[in-house]
Amino acid sequence: MSLAEAPAQSTAAAYWRLQRSELRLVLGRRRNLVLLLGLAAVPLLLGLVLFFTQDTALDGQGPAFLGRVTGNGLFLVVASVFLCLPFLLPLTIGIASGDAIAGEASAGTLRYLLTVPVGRTRLLLVKAVGALAFAAAAVASIAVVGLIAGAALFGVHDVTLLSGDTVSLGAGALRVLAVVVYVGLSLTGLVAVGLFFSTLTEVPVGAMAATVVVAIVSGVLDTIPALSAIHPALLTHHWLDFAEFLRIEPDWGVIGGGLAVQAAWVAIFGALAWSRFTTADVTS
Amino acid sequence: MSNLSPRARWAVPAVVGVVVAAAFVAPPLVASASSDDLPTLTPQQLVTAVADAKDQPLSGTVVYTARLGLPSLPLGDMAGASPVNLLDGSSTMRVWTDGVDRSRASLLGATSEYSVVRDGSQAWTYSSTDDAVVHYALPAKDQARYDALAQDPTVEGDLPTPAAAATSVLGLVEQFSTVSLDAQSTVAGRDAYNLVVTPKSTTTLVGHVVISVDAKTSTPLRVQVWDRDSTAPALEVGFTDVRFATPSASVLSFSAPAGASTKDVTVPLPAATDRPAAGIPEGTTVTGTGWDTVVQASGVDVAGLLAGDTDALASVPGSQPAIGSKSGQKLLDEFGADGSGKVRDLDLGTLFDTITTKVPEGRLIETRLASVLVTDDGRVLVGAVPGATLQADAR
Repeated sequence: MSLAEAPAQSTAAAYWRLQRSELRLVLGRRRNLVLLLGLAAVPLLLGLVLFFTQDTALDGQGPAFLGRVTGNGLFLVVASVFLCLPFLLPLTIGIASGDAIAGEASAGTLRYLLTVPVGRTRLLLVKAVGALAFAAAAVASIAVVGLIAGAALFGVHDVTLLSGDTVSLGAGALRVLAVVVYVGLSLTGLVAVGLFFSTLTEVPVGAMAATVVVAIVSGVLDTIPALSAIHPALLTHHWLDFAEFLRIEPDWGVIGGGLAVQAAWVAIFGALAWSRFTTADVTS
Repeated sequence: MSNLSPRARWAVPAVVGVVVAAAFVAPPLVASASSDDLPTLTPQQLVTAVADAKDQPLSGTVVYTARLGLPSLPLGDMAGASPVNLLDGSSTMRVWTDGVDRSRASLLGATSEYSVVRDGSQAWTYSSTDDAVVHYALPAKDQARYDALAQDPTVEGDLPTPAAAATSVLGLVEQFSTVSLDAQSTVAGRDAYNLVVTPKSTTTLVGHVVISVDAKTSTPLRVQVWDRDSTAPALEVGFTDVRFATPSASVLSFSAPAGASTKDVTVPLPAATDRPAAGIPEGTTVTGTGWDTVVQASGVDVAGLLAGDTDALASVPGSQPAIGSKSGQKLLDEFGADGSGKVRDLDLGTLFDTITTKVPEGRLIETRLASVLVTDDGRVLVGAVPGATLQADAR
């Protein structure tokens, strides 16, 4: 081993150590666990409500997908994700990603982190991976609890698509999995926005609130017809395109377009966060 | 990277932003760049080619946009995917056809779908919002005749040659319009000829009609109807994406899903001698010619239609609170209805008053392409002319 390789190796090792400890921290923090439990309660409560009202006249009423749950437990996953998408998931993402840098800054631990020999770019990467992992955990907790509760309460059957065609249970489960993965990937843009806000301030609540506001404002702008020219570029515009997986022939152009918009938001706000974080004076 | 100046670091997001914007803006610009390398055709040759073309197996996405200038109806968002949405605004459809007698069209809502599937002599509609299937089929005695027709499609007798058909169509159109070919363009990523039909009349609301025809297959790809003075077509329906290949068999067949409500409708096949009666129905008069034609129907009980419709309305799925449970019935008694089970929350009369304006002759609806006048004495006048023309006709 030459002398030049030694620091490189120790940097890589330090990076992985830091990444592991960050993941443990994010997924083990009590506040984050409570958030995950809260999200997991949504499909459980929804399933129980639908189970106890299924033979009454309220059966089959409500937003899209809700009416299909009693016939097929798999749809509890889709209905829960659909109900959490407008507000609960952005709120959760905002809390986790807004806290990533600003939380350390406000607790006065950021400058100690900067003494770890990994460089600010990698430290930002560590934080980004942590926030993304939490976003994935949030979507997964809804999906897993939804699947278990749905299967236990209503059973799982062949899946009737929005087109009225029926596909086998295996193919249907794959489509529901694709829905969940698409929803998870649709949240990456918001994670990047939250990470950028988090580098701007030492007040974590400010970054969290700003992130949630971005998601809500984006949703509001999406409903104004006069702004239809900018709709395709909005962060939230393609979120409901997960329904594409429940049509008889999913249009991969639509799905790819939605993911490309998220990638664009990740690229721009990732770059902004990087510029800010690597040039900022860290005093606390 | 670690020895970049702060200014250089802030340039990175700017560069990323420009690259991202370019990546999203450039491909559509390249795709819509007009291609002038197609052979030059006359309108006659183009219409002949369209008449001569076989129906192509294809699948694609169709976007329909109506900018009629109607007051917006807040129905579309509530009802999910439903044909009502086609009145105004923009709708997206997916279509598949094998070019013969099997096809599917799906009207897409954000999280819903309304599908129409035709498989030979049978057809289905499916609404995902209501989970309801309607199945249309021929009565048994007509099925044999349908099969015979399918076996031997030439039974209809002597069809004109494509060139003759084109001549007669163009002859009819050119009576009232000028027909020309505009510059070639790209529609749904394919080279297309643009046939422009411009009314000779200057009093109609219609400015011109543009029909884009695929250069390779002679399939019409897009139709735009422009009014006289605007920068966007008032009506536009066209492919945004099209593939000329036979769709998979699973798309072209349908079987009702388990648990859906199913309604069967039997539709008799019209006899070969049943031609639509020549002339116009009784009570209807036609004035004006060509694009200025005004159709006038008399003896229409508009007020009755609007007021007496609650029975029909009650049969509309979704417009009625749930009946059947005690709580549902109680809610219904308290809020929904006047005890007779009729719903009075959607007042068609009010809706009618909202979208029409009061004029001395009655009530008038003016859109960018057509006007409708409902007179107080029960006549209905319709035409692609300004409202003032209808008012003059009604006097």
